[in-house]
Amino acid sequence: MTVSAHNIVKHFGAFTALDDVSLEAQPGEFLALLGPSGSGKTTLLRIMAGLEFPDSGSICFDGVDVSTRPTRERAVGFVFQHYALFRHMTVAENVGFGLTVKPRAERPDAAAIRTRVNELLSLVQLGHLGDRYPSQLSGGQRQRVALARALAVNPNILLLDEPFGALDAKVRKDLRRWLREVHQTMKLTSVFVTHDQEEALDLADRVVVMNHGVIEQVDTPDAVYNRPASAFVCDFLGNANKLDCTITGGAIEIGGHRIENTAPPAADGRGIAFIRPHEFDVAADGQPGVAVTLRRLTRTGPMAALDCQTSAGALIEVTTLEPPAGLLPGAALTLVPRRVRAYAA
Amino acid sequence: MTTVALPAATPRARRGLVERSIMPGFGLTMGFTVFYLSVIVLIPLSAVFITTAGMGFDGFVEVALSQRALYAYRLSFGAAAIAASINAVFGLVVAWVLVRYEFPGKRLVNALVDLPFALPTAVAGIALTALYAPNGWIGAWLAPHGIKVAFQPLGVVVALTFIGLPFVVRTVEPVLADLGPEVEEAAASLGAGRWQTFARVIWPAILPALATGFALAFARAVGEYGSVIFIAGNMPYKSEIAPLLIVMQLEQYNIPGATAIAATMLIASFVLLFAINLLQGWSRRRMAA
Repeated sequence: MTVSAHNIVKHFGAFTALDDVSLEAQPGEFLALLGPSGSGKTTLLRIMAGLEFPDSGSICFDGVDVSTRPTRERAVGFVFQHYALFRHMTVAENVGFGLTVKPRAERPDAAAIRTRVNELLSLVQLGHLGDRYPSQLSGGQRQRVALARALAVNPNILLLDEPFGALDAKVRKDLRRWLREVHQTMKLTSVFVTHDQEEALDLADRVVVMNHGVIEQVDTPDAVYNRPASAFVCDFLGNANKLDCTITGGAIEIGGHRIENTAPPAADGRGIAFIRPHEFDVAADGQPGVAVTLRRLTRTGPMAALDCQTSAGALIEVTTLEPPAGLLPGAALTLVPRRVRAYAA
Repeated sequence: MTTVALPAATPRARRGLVERSIMPGFGLTMGFTVFYLSVIVLIPLSAVFITTAGMGFDGFVEVALSQRALYAYRLSFGAAAIAASINAVFGLVVAWVLVRYEFPGKRLVNALVDLPFALPTAVAGIALTALYAPNGWIGAWLAPHGIKVAFQPLGVVVALTFIGLPFVVRTVEPVLADLGPEVEEAAASLGAGRWQTFARVIWPAILPALATGFALAFARAVGEYGSVIFIAGNMPYKSEIAPLLIVMQLEQYNIPGATAIAATMLIASFVLLFAINLLQGWSRRRMAA
């Protein structure tokens, strides 16, 4: 099912949570809403679910405007960060809940519900835990129960609000891989909210980067990482050194060093250059490049990390596989950026 | 080589009823608890039974099971049950409003809920009587419709409802707050209507707390004296509560008579509270093992 949001505006008092946001998720697509807290990503998800209503704008499922429909008539599967399981029900009762509250005419009989619940429990690999209560499960298991519960009613779309936010790193990674597999077998249009860039890049078909209630960029994980559309996206995704620069005729100048091929092209004037730590070559002092002083060198596994400082006082973090031999703090070096992204300041 | 008999490996504490614990001071705190409960609760209560036992079975029946006393028990327990039920319903509504909504004056409402705790009961009784008497603000409104509150059993229910309210609100409130809006949203996203959400999701979760609140309000109401005697009118066989009978016996220096009624009430209350507790434990076990 295609899910689209058109010109959504939402205010909470004086705070603008969403400012004219439009977005479309293709059938079967896995979309990540990524942004810092307060960027409006959860609000957008909740508006899609009908848990929140926009001040203006509309939500369409397959072109049908569902903006005024309450949640329960939208058939969305919603997974909460803190699971929101029904504590007084067993795992099986939780999963079957959506089926048992259907109007009598549409409600499957008890045997059909049991079959469906067992089917879902084995999908989430919890077939043996149907009789347990949520309090007897681990966090990862609870979240899988929540997912099975959301899937039980054959939703049009699946919406997940920071689904791994409350889990520890190891479980998070396993669950992520597993969710990806479930999505591939179900082919259900899914949208999930996260503030973890690694999670978004790893899971999503397309990543929606949001900031201050607007969408900064919608693109594949590769594109948002390698071709960020704005300074914010560049800064938010991955680790980058931020350096003041001057832009003239498409070329930029950092600390007296001129670099011709920058992307994307930026207007002339003062700008900010983003250079990722691994996008530097480290050369001896005196070579053409940005002159720096080494402050600290640390080895973390195969990579060496160099903390450098320019004569203007800016700190630059560099990672390299092969640092020049015999480097000591205080040594003068030249950094040659291989790739620079510059944006008008 | 001789075999040395080693002392039994079981630590001393394991042989007793108590598991070894990292928390020190079990002996001291447990000893204090038993002592304290004895002095404050058990010894005075046993005095009630001992004094009562002194009057013999016939004497006991004559006082504690007299027609007048039976009417008083019926009123005390009946009115307390009705008042606690009313509080269970409306206390739940108040708790709901306090937890779920933000509105101007919320802190004031919050403080008002506790007022029946803090107010001297006699003050409450006098205030309620002044309001509900046939010439009072509310009584004057009700009188033309033939509804009499003050000096009637209904007045007893009103007074007991007043003093019991905070018990229900304060026991249900934290449970409701803990439940959070998320489970309701989850239920709605799964297609449940408002009523289904309440009946299947919220109600089972708050039922144990509501039962506790009911039990507390009921227990408080059964023993209530100060606020009731003003509004009840204290007519024998009609609006006379059991605690008042106890006081009357005391005023006639008939201490065994007073303790006989007290012991009867005590046993009845204990049985009722024990039953509520059992029910509660059962529902709690069923819900979250």
